[in-house]
Amino acid sequence: MASKAVLSQQEKSTASAASGLSWGAVLTVTSGILMLAALYMALIWAPDATNLTAPAERYAQRIFYFHVGSAWLGFLAFIVAAVASILYLVTRRDKWDIWALSSVEIGLAFFTTVIISGSIWAKPTWNVWWTWDPRLTISTICWLLYVGYLMLRGAIDNPDRQARFGAVYALLAGFSVPLNWMAIRWWRTIHPAVIAPGNNADESMGSFGMSANIQTTLLFCVIAFTVFYITLMYHRINLEQLQRRVDTLKQRLLYR
Amino acid sequence: MGDTVYLAAAYGVFWLVSFIFIYSLVGRQRSLQKDVELLEQLAQDEARPE
Repeated sequence: MASKAVLSQQEKSTASAASGLSWGAVLTVTSGILMLAALYMALIWAPDATNLTAPAERYAQRIFYFHVGSAWLGFLAFIVAAVASILYLVTRRDKWDIWALSSVEIGLAFFTTVIISGSIWAKPTWNVWWTWDPRLTISTICWLLYVGYLMLRGAIDNPDRQARFGAVYALLAGFSVPLNWMAIRWWRTIHPAVIAPGNNADESMGSFGMSANIQTTLLFCVIAFTVFYITLMYHRINLEQLQRRVDTLKQRLLYR
Repeated sequence: MGDTVYLAAAYGVFWLVSFIFIYSLVGRQRSLQKDVELLEQLAQDEARPE
């Protein structure tokens, strides 16, 4: 009985892997090309910001494209996780728990690059590696909240409780995303708000004018990062589904 | 320090974190593949007549 189950699950898994191979390959190649093109545009194609005179500050401004791209990816991932968590709480379908977990993992990885690249950009622009500015503080809290999400899941053994507690936590943690987005608009901050109606150029440091080519490069980077996120989600979800199938089969073999 | 060092460091961090994440996915995939092979072997042993 158990052997039949093992074989049928294995066959299903192999069949799904075979049919999904082409989609996975297409997504991976497309996102690889887009990310390399984004790198070219950010480092070479995009013009220098005209108002920045110090060479170090001018070069560092190019961090902007991947810094914002990663931040966009992180915010998108955390919002997807919150939505998937709501869907899990409503439907109790395992699929949404897998989506939430996968999305948080990806978002956390890229939010880490946002914080590190922001700190590196701050040095030539603000002359400090770090300052407890509202945006930077909320970003750190946001990052810690999602580290907490993974720790919470790791601390619970029961899969149902893990999914239920994780969903409630991810939903609550999701509120840090709009708060983070609005931090540079609501409070006095030295972090530039370049994508904002009536930006805060007077208070911010390192702000620069968005010429047409800078805007095009930024838009291209945002698209490239979105495709990159979809690709990573595709692979991470497949991996988590396989992981859960293997765990179920192990349990069946162990307790039969 | 050169003027481009901050730029190189920031992009270096981005690609490093991306590769570490992708490498961890590949590592987990390999480990699962081993588990699947083991389960397959167990299933075959069980299906074999005594």
